[in-house]
Amino acid sequence: MSQFSDERGAELREFFFETAQELLQSLNDEALKLEKQPGDVETVRSIRRIVHTLKGDAAACGFRELSETAHELEDALAQESTAGNTSLAEIVFKAADVFAAMLAAYRHKSKLPATATLRKMVKELVMAPAAKKANGKKSQKAAPKANHAKGGTHKASGTEAKAAREAKTSSAKAHWTEYEEASVRNAAATGHHVFHIDAIVDPNCAMPIAARQLVLNGLGAIGNVLAVRPEANTASAKRLEILLASQKAAEQVGAKTQIPTVISSVRVEVVAEPTAPAEADVSIDEVAAANQAPETDSIRMPAEEPAGKHHGLAATENILRVDAERIDNVLNLVGELIIGKSMLQQALNEFARHYPKEGMRGRFVDAMAFQARVLNDLQRSVMKIRMVPVEQLFRRFPRMVRDVAKQCGRDVELVMTGQDTDLDKTLLDAITEPLTHLVRNAVGHGIERSEDRVRQGKPAQGTVHLKAYHQGNQVVVEVTDNGRGIDAQKVRARALEKGLITGEQAARLSEADIQALVFRPGFSTADEITEVSGRGVGLDVVQSVLQRLKGTVEIESRAGQGTTFRLKLPLTLAIIKALLFRVESRLYAIPLNTVAEIARANESEVHRVDHNEVLQLRNQVLPLLRLGRPSAKTEGHSKIFVLVITMADRKLGLIVDALEGEEELVIKALDDQAVATDLVSGASILGDGRVVLILNLAAVVERFAKLRPSEAGSISFGLLLSNADRTQLSTAGGAQA
Amino acid sequence: MEQFAPVKRSKDGQPIRYLVVDDSVFARKNLARIIETFGGQLAGEAGDGLTAITEYERTHPDIVLMDITMPQMEGIEAAEKIVQKHPEARIVMVSSVGYQENIVAALQRGARHFVQKPVKPEVLYEVIKYVLGEEATAASAAGAGA
Repeated sequence: MSQFSDERGAELREFFFETAQELLQSLNDEALKLEKQPGDVETVRSIRRIVHTLKGDAAACGFRELSETAHELEDALAQESTAGNTSLAEIVFKAADVFAAMLAAYRHKSKLPATATLRKMVKELVMAPAAKKANGKKSQKAAPKANHAKGGTHKASGTEAKAAREAKTSSAKAHWTEYEEASVRNAAATGHHVFHIDAIVDPNCAMPIAARQLVLNGLGAIGNVLAVRPEANTASAKRLEILLASQKAAEQVGAKTQIPTVISSVRVEVVAEPTAPAEADVSIDEVAAANQAPETDSIRMPAEEPAGKHHGLAATENILRVDAERIDNVLNLVGELIIGKSMLQQALNEFARHYPKEGMRGRFVDAMAFQARVLNDLQRSVMKIRMVPVEQLFRRFPRMVRDVAKQCGRDVELVMTGQDTDLDKTLLDAITEPLTHLVRNAVGHGIERSEDRVRQGKPAQGTVHLKAYHQGNQVVVEVTDNGRGIDAQKVRARALEKGLITGEQAARLSEADIQALVFRPGFSTADEITEVSGRGVGLDVVQSVLQRLKGTVEIESRAGQGTTFRLKLPLTLAIIKALLFRVESRLYAIPLNTVAEIARANESEVHRVDHNEVLQLRNQVLPLLRLGRPSAKTEGHSKIFVLVITMADRKLGLIVDALEGEEELVIKALDDQAVATDLVSGASILGDGRVVLILNLAAVVERFAKLRPSEAGSISFGLLLSNADRTQLSTAGGAQA
Repeated sequence: MEQFAPVKRSKDGQPIRYLVVDDSVFARKNLARIIETFGGQLAGEAGDGLTAITEYERTHPDIVLMDITMPQMEGIEAAEKIVQKHPEARIVMVSSVGYQENIVAALQRGARHFVQKPVKPEVLYEVIKYVLGEEATAASAAGAGA
């Protein structure tokens, strides 16, 4: 059945799966819309279009069962009575799920899911008497409008699907790619009709390709040709299918296509109506003529054909689908360039030292500065390619929130803001799961039942707010609910019970610290889903994912008022600005944005509280973490460097031996074999060829927290010492000074 | 040879004037004969692309019938040059099936239509009427031939 068997077939199928996912997403979106506005004719039409596309695409790939099921639904949707059916949204949701399952089955070549339930629902939809209409008036009112827009002799809205079916019996309609579909929407949005032109080449015309060109010339004069099938010069193209955006009426389009001696018959169908008024007084001809002018904001190569008549829409022309790996390659090369830059810088510094009087120095410096600037731009541009709007991730949530809310019997509204915030694609993919988890939790556990909410004087409908925004060098994604919040007392009790904290700690920990306990592994168990512990399920997973991404997750909660989870992510994983320092004469780096300040202090100013070293910094007591062993020099008088870092609202001082400066580091991942510690998250190469290890601050802080009881008293314990160092240290008893 | 309803210029009722470009003398003769049956007038002839351009400048015909393969300058180039200078020029490419790609190229460069060799009068007649559009009127509707 499959029409493709070779490699290209596999590639096409892969592409189909990709586009089908997007179709299903739109299907879900439309179903949600329909649920809010039952009987909306426009929405039903849009659903039908989506199902139609899916049907055609599936058929082209030889996925018969999917195509047939979609076909049945499409037919049912074409019925006028269907639009008013109250259970339609439900059926579309169900269909989206079944289609998704079928796609997965095709993809993994596993057994196809049962479609009987869906088919039965669809069948009932067809049978449903018109009396079931939820909104008869509305659909009636909308119908004539649609008819009017179609133009007299051409197919009216109700029969459009019928026409499609007719076309199918003779030969299947062409399949438009998603970009072509997008260009259709685009054209409609700029006030054009979009026509589907089906032209049969005159059998007496022996030159169909020339005929095709002639038709395109003719149509180019009255509109924008969005797509043509056959695409390339196919020797035996006896039939032309064209998508045309135009402000002319269907009759004129038909007449323009009906070129004597080359085209024997033409059928014109309206596939999209203007969704926005036409740009005032600008006829399409003028738009086409003005195409080279910058104000049309199309970056188009000077038309290859001076006739300049065969264009698609600018927005679709300029989109490329590129394998992510290729971009990664470019980014890697940029990384190498940055290393190269610091090599040059290093060499230049040395040169300046050797020949301080040399006049060439200035020119070198200038050239370096220029190169650095360009390199900076290049890096930013390449990273921008990897960026995608979080919308791609957010758009799946409306459906999910609806489902979870329904399951748990909650009434929840989802508000989303900042969908256009850009984030590195890799990061976006990585936070999908944690974010899904948080949203699910917020709906299922955060928001109370409506009656409980009303009793507390809150609006009956709960709100979950998804928010994304930039903050400095970071992207923040927040999930906020206005539900019951986290009860610190309960968390405290539970943590005690689970042995996560000692009674002494329980008394000492701040509310924020207590709340942070929900991220600890083992905080809750799956079988006891209580108000509080329910929120703890899998939160340790969320945290570990965020740590892996060099991000953080924070929690902010007020009992009775709601909870906010804040995911903070770096803009990109590949290149960071870092602060370099030395510990035990080894070179380390930490991300510069985690460093709040750098302080100098005397050893004598370091105090001990609870076996922990602390430093009085202005009016704050800063817990200290010693990365190496204490300075061997006379204690008390030597100066130390303290890097004050902030991690998820906590401040901590790192004692280091010496500072090396700041630099842009290209992070090279380390595999587990190379480094057997989670304290280091990666490595980088400096301009002079030295290797610097990048600390995983989250793990460092964690280690510090765990370390406290067991390592109490041994302040000479250096976190970053190797085992060999440590052994030496303990045998020598610290007396090697 | 059958007769067609004469096609005249709508603005002044004058016969349509043709420039026939082909390196084959026979082909030019043949076309000239067909044109006559349309009530047209031969404004000029050319055996190569370069001459076609100069002849166009001299005669300003209503229609150019242009062959593809010619010495000196090919039909496509000649058509392109003429259209660049005179966007209103109505050029109909005349060629055999084997030159389809060249016809496509010519159409992309501004040619208005094409007919296939050997030229069938009734096809050319339709093409001429289409290309002239409102610029011309056929004396009576009953002449579409074939």
